Amino acid sequence: MKKVKAIFAMMLFSFGAFAQSSNANEGAIWDDPILLFYITAGFMFVVALLVIVVALYMLQVLRYLAKDAAMERAKKAGVEFVEEPSWWAKLNQKLYGYVPIEKEETIMLDHNYDGIRELDNHLPPWWKWLFIGSIIWGVFYLIAYHVTSSLPLQIDEYQNEVAVAEEQIRKLKAANPGAVIDENTVMLATDATALADGKETFNNICSSCHRVDGGGDIGPNLTDQYWKHGGSIKDVFTIVKNGVPNTNMVAWGGALSPEKMQNVSSYLLTLQGTNPPNAKAPEGDLYVPEAKEPVVSDTIKTQASL
Amino acid sequence: MELEKISYDNKIVKAFIIATVIFGLVGMSVGLLAAIQLFYPIANFDLQYTSFGRIRPLHTNAIIFAFVGNAMFVGVYYSMQRLLKTRMFSDLLSWIHFWGWQLIILAAAISLPLGMTSSKEYAELEWPIDIAITIIWVVFGWNMIGTILKRREKHMYVAIWFYIATFVTVAVLHIVNSFAIPVTMFKSYSWYAGVQDALVQWWYGHNAVAFFLTTPFLGLMYYFLPKAANRPVYSYRLSIVHFWSLIFIYIWAGPHHLLYTALPDWAQSLGVVFSIMLIAPSWGGMLNGLLTLRGAWDRVREDPVLKFMVVAVTAYGMATLEGPLLSLKNVNAIAHFTDWIIAHVHVGGLGWNGFLTFGMLYWIIPRMWGTKLYSTKLANLHFWIGTLGIMFYALPLYIAGVVQSLMWKEFTADGFLQYQNFLETTTQILPMYMLRAVGGTLYLTGVIIMTYNLIKTAYAGKFIANEEAEVAPMVKNASSGGHWHHVLEAKPVMFTVLALVAILIGGAIEMVPTFLIKSNVPTIASVKPYTPLELHGRDIYIREGCVGCHSQMVRPFRSEVQRYDPTNGEYSKAGEYVYDHPFLWGSKRTGPDLQRVGAKYADSWHYRHMLTPGDVSNGSIMPAYPWLYEQLIDKELTPKMIAALRTVGVPYEEGYEEMANDELDKQAARISENLGMEGYEVVKEAEIVALIAYLQRLGTDIKADKVAEK
Repeated sequence: MKKVKAIFAMMLFSFGAFAQSSNANEGAIWDDPILLFYITAGFMFVVALLVIVVALYMLQVLRYLAKDAAMERAKKAGVEFVEEPSWWAKLNQKLYGYVPIEKEETIMLDHNYDGIRELDNHLPPWWKWLFIGSIIWGVFYLIAYHVTSSLPLQIDEYQNEVAVAEEQIRKLKAANPGAVIDENTVMLATDATALADGKETFNNICSSCHRVDGGGDIGPNLTDQYWKHGGSIKDVFTIVKNGVPNTNMVAWGGALSPEKMQNVSSYLLTLQGTNPPNAKAPEGDLYVPEAKEPVVSDTIKTQASL
Repeated sequence: MELEKISYDNKIVKAFIIATVIFGLVGMSVGLLAAIQLFYPIANFDLQYTSFGRIRPLHTNAIIFAFVGNAMFVGVYYSMQRLLKTRMFSDLLSWIHFWGWQLIILAAAISLPLGMTSSKEYAELEWPIDIAITIIWVVFGWNMIGTILKRREKHMYVAIWFYIATFVTVAVLHIVNSFAIPVTMFKSYSWYAGVQDALVQWWYGHNAVAFFLTTPFLGLMYYFLPKAANRPVYSYRLSIVHFWSLIFIYIWAGPHHLLYTALPDWAQSLGVVFSIMLIAPSWGGMLNGLLTLRGAWDRVREDPVLKFMVVAVTAYGMATLEGPLLSLKNVNAIAHFTDWIIAHVHVGGLGWNGFLTFGMLYWIIPRMWGTKLYSTKLANLHFWIGTLGIMFYALPLYIAGVVQSLMWKEFTADGFLQYQNFLETTTQILPMYMLRAVGGTLYLTGVIIMTYNLIKTAYAGKFIANEEAEVAPMVKNASSGGHWHHVLEAKPVMFTVLALVAILIGGAIEMVPTFLIKSNVPTIASVKPYTPLELHGRDIYIREGCVGCHSQMVRPFRSEVQRYDPTNGEYSKAGEYVYDHPFLWGSKRTGPDLQRVGAKYADSWHYRHMLTPGDVSNGSIMPAYPWLYEQLIDKELTPKMIAALRTVGVPYEEGYEEMANDELDKQAARISENLGMEGYEVVKEAEIVALIAYLQRLGTDIKADKVAEK
């Protein structure tokens, strides 16, 4: 998919760079390797175009010179110069099989509608075969899907798609054995990569209800010590994963990977005690951390390992 | 042979020309406003009459029926009189047609911003206007057939064939699709529900494109292009083959708008194969147009009329190749619901309909005013600025469509969506939306230049209201032997009947089984009719045009099921829509699908979100709906709504009308209490309460019970 996008952007460099540039709003714009790639690719594209234009122009000049020479020869030989029809004209003649303009009176019908006359040229052969071909294709299509069932209809297609994806994920997990992160094994992530990933998820999704600073809006304030469902990493993770029925808290377990949920839960706990302005009043019970939270020892390779 | 002196009616043509230019300017300006709203939501003005959901149908209706419609009548009234060597059948009918059509446009321009809409695309107008359209269309047809019958030219030219096909097909499409049960003067429910409504609507919608935007314009092309080029039409045979194959095949292709939906597979497949078969018949028209220019290409370089026509015909060819390709399931899976489709229709609309209209006007006006075009330079400027406008319109949207679609579908390696938040995919393409508005501005500028040029031309000449002509009477008993089709061309009634038969077959074969065979729509036991409050909410959803940006159709793709229903994993089933009069599947996802939004958030989220979407979803381009918090629902309508829906088959018990408002009150009180507990005070009759009730119901029935196929 990345590849497709890259090729696409290469072809349509200027727009592509425009669409992607919003990714680069952190740090200097020139640090973005993708942008650099686009610029290089775009430059090459423009150069390639120029080369083609020049080549075509040269071809044109050559043809002109050749024609000039042929005319000269004809003059010397004392015969009338007849220009060879271009390959394009020959191709068209073949494809369309039309009667030349000079002879068109032979196929002129006696129709005359307000001065409009009609010729009776053949159906263009390529057009005729396109039409017949599309009908044959249609028959085969219907047979393949509905008579012999050789091709999957949409529900089968969907089930295949899901099966393939599940198999891939299963293989991936088998190849990367590691502790499964769930409500019982979740730990507080503290390294910068994990927290940055958590912040991105938080700003992207959670901030809609909890505000970017965690001060709370539709959802509760996440910066105070009061929690409706407990304030340990395990409690937070559980709520993120399963949501709270009949409230605004959506269950994210189906949409975010366990690592992402661990990261975002860890990140939002870093907001504790930040006291943002205009924060929502405390809700729930005071939660005092009992002991040291279990901390992830190693960097979580959310993206790197996959 | 004695020549008769007659005169052609130019006055009616002039009237339609004025209407075309005015509504072209209006319709395109409204389109530009809609384009700006998409990246600059403030342009919705927080006013219900100007919010995107109501502006979009105003734009599409103004362009299709007011601009292109009037342009079609310009060409038909001008060419038909000359091709048949007679004045129109009745000047009175001509003027009834003209004023009737303009009044319908006026009614649309008032009722659409007021939110009176059936929500069915390009058929939004409510039932009294639908009846008026039927009457005026019959007047048009009567006048046309009358003119054909009193013709002095024994045979009908190919342009007339296309006019006949246009008349009969649009009549059939409009009447069948507009069937509805009225609730009040300004409100009705579609006769059909769910899958069936979708099939009928897109049979209509697709063929509105075919028989309102295509066939009449092919007719115009066959008259004005050979006239302007002064060349004979390339191939009479090609005209015959492509005319009949086009009208026969077109009518089948509607289901390609519903690929991967809950429409039965067999109907989808018919839509696919007939779309592919449509390439050649469509291209037949393009070829006959372009090949007619053989020997006149040197003039194309100089004559702006021909330039416009060449681009128009080329755009027609591109759009009619792209359309069938978009109908292939694997392409459709990427393009459907995205801006690719918007780009596609605008290549057709701006290129084919727009440019052919402009070419026709530049040709016709100097002739009707007996003068020369005021400025060829300005016409050339219009041509280039318009062409540039089309490119700036279409290219960014192609990119936007593909980029957004790929983002929707991108998974991480561990099986989760790369772009979990729909909004990320929207903000990514906003620059493209801005470029599109630039394209639209260029195109509109061109039309303004044209208007100036045409007015100047008219002032320089003298209008010929009745154009004198000397014509020979029809030779009645001349042998009409020869080619069988040539014989048919002398029998207009027979011709009309055959055209009618040709266009009825496809629709009938697709619709009858979908209506009669139960297995096409498997029922789901847990799906129940809407409650009275939800019905009111649904009416508001329809009124605000939510369907213009939000689909209600989770297609059976892993990426869509994962995005819209990660917990239960249900794509949309046909049985879920059996009480949806009309269906609200939508055709564009500017915002996320809503089929599974029910019970996803609490009421307060919706309350906040509809009031200030940008605050809740940072960067959202959705308009705000502050008026829903002040306006109250009309409870007196409830019994009528229930009764109307029962008539079209929703199983409300007899006498349910009496208790419907009690139930409504109870449900509304629950929601407003819920909101009150979170600190949002709202009257329980407020429209927002009903809308929240509807949104919370969406797609939840299927969760109550696993699919039980009866």
